[in-house]
Amino acid sequence: MTTDDRVVIDFDQHSPDYREAYPEISHEIRNQCPAAWSERYGGYWIISGRDLIGEMAKHPDLLSNDHDPLGVRQGYGGVAIPSPVGGTNRGGFLEMDPPEQLEYRHVLNPFLSPAAVERWRPMVRDLTRACLDEVIESGHIDFVDDMANVVPAVLTMGLLGLPLVDWVIYCEPAHAMVYTPPHSPEFSRVLEGAIRMGAHLSEAMVTARTRPRPGMIRALIEAQNSGAAFSDDDIQGTLVLLIGGGFDTTTSLTAHALDWLDRHPAQRGPLASDAALLDTATEEFVRFATPAQGGGRTITRDCEIAGHQFRSGERVWMSYALANHDRDAFDDPDEIVLDRFPNRHAAFGLGVHRCIGSNLARMTFKTMLGEVLARVPEYRCQEGGAVRYEDIGTINGYKHLPADFPAGEREGPPLSDVIAQWQHTLDSAEPAT
Amino acid sequence: MRVKVDPDVCQGHTLCNLAAPHVFLLREDDGHAYVAAAEVPPDQEDLVRKAVATCPEGAISIDEAGEAGA
Repeated sequence: MTTDDRVVIDFDQHSPDYREAYPEISHEIRNQCPAAWSERYGGYWIISGRDLIGEMAKHPDLLSNDHDPLGVRQGYGGVAIPSPVGGTNRGGFLEMDPPEQLEYRHVLNPFLSPAAVERWRPMVRDLTRACLDEVIESGHIDFVDDMANVVPAVLTMGLLGLPLVDWVIYCEPAHAMVYTPPHSPEFSRVLEGAIRMGAHLSEAMVTARTRPRPGMIRALIEAQNSGAAFSDDDIQGTLVLLIGGGFDTTTSLTAHALDWLDRHPAQRGPLASDAALLDTATEEFVRFATPAQGGGRTITRDCEIAGHQFRSGERVWMSYALANHDRDAFDDPDEIVLDRFPNRHAAFGLGVHRCIGSNLARMTFKTMLGEVLARVPEYRCQEGGAVRYEDIGTINGYKHLPADFPAGEREGPPLSDVIAQWQHTLDSAEPAT
Repeated sequence: MRVKVDPDVCQGHTLCNLAAPHVFLLREDDGHAYVAAAEVPPDQEDLVRKAVATCPEGAISIDEAGEAGA
């Protein structure tokens, strides 16, 4: 097959056009071909068909996640399109292939199974209530800054085994790295924050070797000590991945849902009172927003998948976002239907790289949404106040979502006290050895 | 009706458990699914069909005629 045979489209998931046209643009692309080619960024395939993306995800031997910026293996570009310039590190186990990738997941899965994440629900509820308490007397909230950024960040600290108060060190850089375009004037300041975050993580790893708290960092280091071939760089890459995945995606999902419920206030009551509806609605909000819009791959050898020809070395963008609006797979895909089920969305990715935090995301989202609907059920988002990410090609996120509501009274202690109390609870549950 | 989950295809999306929690159970360590029993109780059959339709990986298969050994 030659380049002449492929359907070439003008496409760039990082462009303002994409941001304005998603999700409607899905149909235009999907109708041309479930696998289309864009000449941007050195050329890459855009996979938009739900069935095709599912089939491709079953072949990690043909589609590599490997990121090899120093060229010691095949020099593949990893999961970001375009591949970042000047980096030396890969992004944890998301930029590895099996079997290496599975060794990391094997260590981390027990922290993130449905049963494991359930144990964090009381903390997530307390943190959310405290966030709402902080603003309840004012009658104003920025759902992103005052709640949806805070709760997942503190929770991620707990899971990693870092001091909960350290969430403030990671929060701003973790979000800003995703939404700040590399060519913008703010980028150098954002990079400084990211470098501080990296330095802090290095220190945290040193501390974890001598005075480990229970959590994912300790588990990774213990695996390394018992013979797993985990390099320090890859452990650090994994921690950055877990922070990025833990912070930004659930925030984005929550903002999308609260923004939609602002426009559909009659749906709030049923969601607040019907747990089964909240379950299906959660999958539907995840499908519709697709917070992590897709992932890059590299074709490892000339091959044919489901009748589509690919050449060794070609780059591929697995667009979970576009696949989630495929009319062949979903009736009225551009509508949010809260009780849509079955719902075989691809928003958590497919295949061996399924979002490792999907269960945590669901629990955190449902808890935050439930508390908002209980405490400030009459909220109204401020007209024109929502600020979405300039570039949604990586994360379909919100920077701000300000809202007003009738002022109420505090029900609990300040957020800082709640964080301190939970730190005490975690420290007494399993003493550091 | 008989049902099985292919452990090599299941990736732990957990939607089968949402559809039919009495039929599909989730492993404690990674949340991947397994069936409580291969034979589906008659009152669960519709829910199992929903689980098949919602599995993002297509990991669940059913044998509608299936008595044991079918």
